[in-house]
Amino acid sequence: MAGETVNRREFIKATGAGALATGLGANIIIPGRSHAAKKTLRILNWVHFVPAYDEWFNKKYVVEWGQKNDTEVTVDNIGIAGVNARAAAEVSAQKGHDLFLFNWPPPSFEEQTVDMKDVYAEIEKKVGKPIDLAIKSTYNPKTKKFYALSPSFTPDPVNYRKDLFTEVGLPNGPRTWDEVRVKGAEIKKKRGNPVGIGLANEIDTAMAMRTIMYSWGSHEQDEAGNLTLKSKQTLDAIKFVKALFQETMTDEVFTWDASSNNRAVVSGKVSLVLNAISTTRTAEKQDDPAMSKEIQLAKALRGPVRAIGLEHVMQCYVIWKFAENIDGAKKFLVDYVTNFRQAFVAGEFYDFPCFEKTVPDLQKLIANDPKAHPPDKYKVLDDVLKWATNVGYPGYATAAIDEIYGTWVLNVMFAKVAAGKATPEAALDEADAACRRIFGKWKEKGLV
Amino acid sequence: MATLERDLRAPAAGRRFGFVLDRPEWLGPLMIAPAVLYIVAIVGLPFLLALYYSVSDISMGRRTLGFVGLKNFISVIPTSKFQTSLQNTFVFAIVSQVLVIILANILALALLKEFRGKWVVRLLLLLPWVAPISLGTIGWLWILDSIYSVINWTLEAFGLITADGWPMYLGKPYLAMGSVITVHVWRLLPLATVIILAGLTSIPKDIHDAAQVDGASFWRHHFQITVPLIRPILLVALLFGLVFAFTDMVVIFVLTRGGPYDTTQVLASLAFFTGIQGGDLAEGAAIAIFLFPLLLAVAFVFLRIARRSEVT
Repeated sequence: MAGETVNRREFIKATGAGALATGLGANIIIPGRSHAAKKTLRILNWVHFVPAYDEWFNKKYVVEWGQKNDTEVTVDNIGIAGVNARAAAEVSAQKGHDLFLFNWPPPSFEEQTVDMKDVYAEIEKKVGKPIDLAIKSTYNPKTKKFYALSPSFTPDPVNYRKDLFTEVGLPNGPRTWDEVRVKGAEIKKKRGNPVGIGLANEIDTAMAMRTIMYSWGSHEQDEAGNLTLKSKQTLDAIKFVKALFQETMTDEVFTWDASSNNRAVVSGKVSLVLNAISTTRTAEKQDDPAMSKEIQLAKALRGPVRAIGLEHVMQCYVIWKFAENIDGAKKFLVDYVTNFRQAFVAGEFYDFPCFEKTVPDLQKLIANDPKAHPPDKYKVLDDVLKWATNVGYPGYATAAIDEIYGTWVLNVMFAKVAAGKATPEAALDEADAACRRIFGKWKEKGLV
Repeated sequence: MATLERDLRAPAAGRRFGFVLDRPEWLGPLMIAPAVLYIVAIVGLPFLLALYYSVSDISMGRRTLGFVGLKNFISVIPTSKFQTSLQNTFVFAIVSQVLVIILANILALALLKEFRGKWVVRLLLLLPWVAPISLGTIGWLWILDSIYSVINWTLEAFGLITADGWPMYLGKPYLAMGSVITVHVWRLLPLATVIILAGLTSIPKDIHDAAQVDGASFWRHHFQITVPLIRPILLVALLFGLVFAFTDMVVIFVLTRGGPYDTTQVLASLAFFTGIQGGDLAEGAAIAIFLFPLLLAVAFVFLRIARRSEVT
């Protein structure tokens, strides 16, 4: 460089170009950045039981939605076991996702979530009213707030072995709980296949026990949210479960986790379970379709009072108050719900719409599924919106109901009696005392 | 002139730093500071937060904390769920630690000897400790599964049990407690063994030689010479194990979630279900720290005994 000189003009040219490149370079080189920074939307979904759903949602739906709405959408998927802990961490840090998906109603997070009243209203204008189950799972009548929005739920039908029930004279499966007890015992005696209703500390047991309770006219609470567990109906339901266990089941049901009943029925071991259609979908994907042909679905079973089933999974989206893109999250939800038909098909009918009109051809779709054996296997779910209900029926899914559910109070009550470790009266007294304490706590906190 | 000042200043700063390195009273705290900071950030702060939560009315979706004194403790301690969990916690911790100490002693004594393939045995022994515990426990879940249990398949193949006589390891209270204790022992055994092995190797060889010359039997040698000499380190192993057993919930969460009907529910898992699943963080925190005073006392006593037993 020695001997080289730079005159003033060259210096200005060089430094000017440098300044331009530094200050405006990015805009010149990347046209997309010449406008205001793109909006972002961060979504947390739990890993779906049907992998095809995540594939569609993550790689297709959100990408297209992001392009249409000039928003960069990112989706994080976590296992269901970590949902509550993750939500607690986000609340604690006051930072995280704009949209957060729970797989059950999250009433205890109410104070941290945006009221979804306007989102429900906007969707209602486009596709009509939501079903009662959605409202009961996302609304707090005490505070008059929609703490979440539920686009869909998963039915929890009876999965039974057609070959086994045909042998005992019920080719279309049982219709009442008494038939399960009597015919289940017959099958167990004749073929060695027990009934598989869980009695463990896990969510499928929690759902199954409530299904039985509600069918017997027994409830944790009444419509107004008053504790009503201690009743003759609950006692009768407990006695029934004890008899059902003794006559039709084995100790295996005390060991189960949430996926055990799937394995038990798909492996051919049990004659009947209550579960979502993930069971039949798993069977359809086996190399040998024989078991898929045998596992059929039936509607909610009738007890002494009514035939009623629980939701198996309640998809509940919340928008945190500290979310960075609240408007974007609301817009996403409105669009997602109004386009729910795509989700219904991508999820292989696992998630049923909470806004009925979003899937106008639902009956037609489920009546003819080429993957199913036979193709109309899922037709039995055509009136599921009429018999599926929420945890806490006939009241709302409140924070107290959620804690009773999450700490397995009712699971333990039924299991202890079934195993002969407590009398029905003693187990009910113990559960009632636990529920009373939990109700009291949440009343004091002002959420119930 | 400026250059000269710079030259004079640099060695002075170097000398100051060197002075710190030369003074043990400064160097010690300096070297241990990162560890202390780490413990304060990862253990200390969350612990203080848990203490604060336990006397508040905080819930999962709430950030404001109202002070409620001992209300959470008074409310939860009389419940049957808590009482059962407390009892289970003691059974789980004490039985598992007795087994860990006995088995770790046997393994450490075996590993002290020279034999072919010793490094393979050491590697295999350490595997449960180095593998993520949740992964290892999921393996055990399969081993103990009601349908696919490899133990039951093997027993049936050898004609020792019938197809409808399978033991339900996680379905009967005693079998379930036995199962979670077994897996916990499997997990903690490597750490205890390594600690005890370190203690055994630190005993001067001439002491063993003198005992041998005096004709001490194996048991006399072990219980009257070896064990007293390694008592401090044995107590440290036991302390680690007890604290782990009293405060950990991974094995129980993966295998039984407290079932069947709460017979394997321990305070740590109950705290999780109440605080995280149930949403009542305050009560969850109260359950979680309930045993802290006891553990603190145990730690104090153990460390004091260990200090007194130190051979100088």
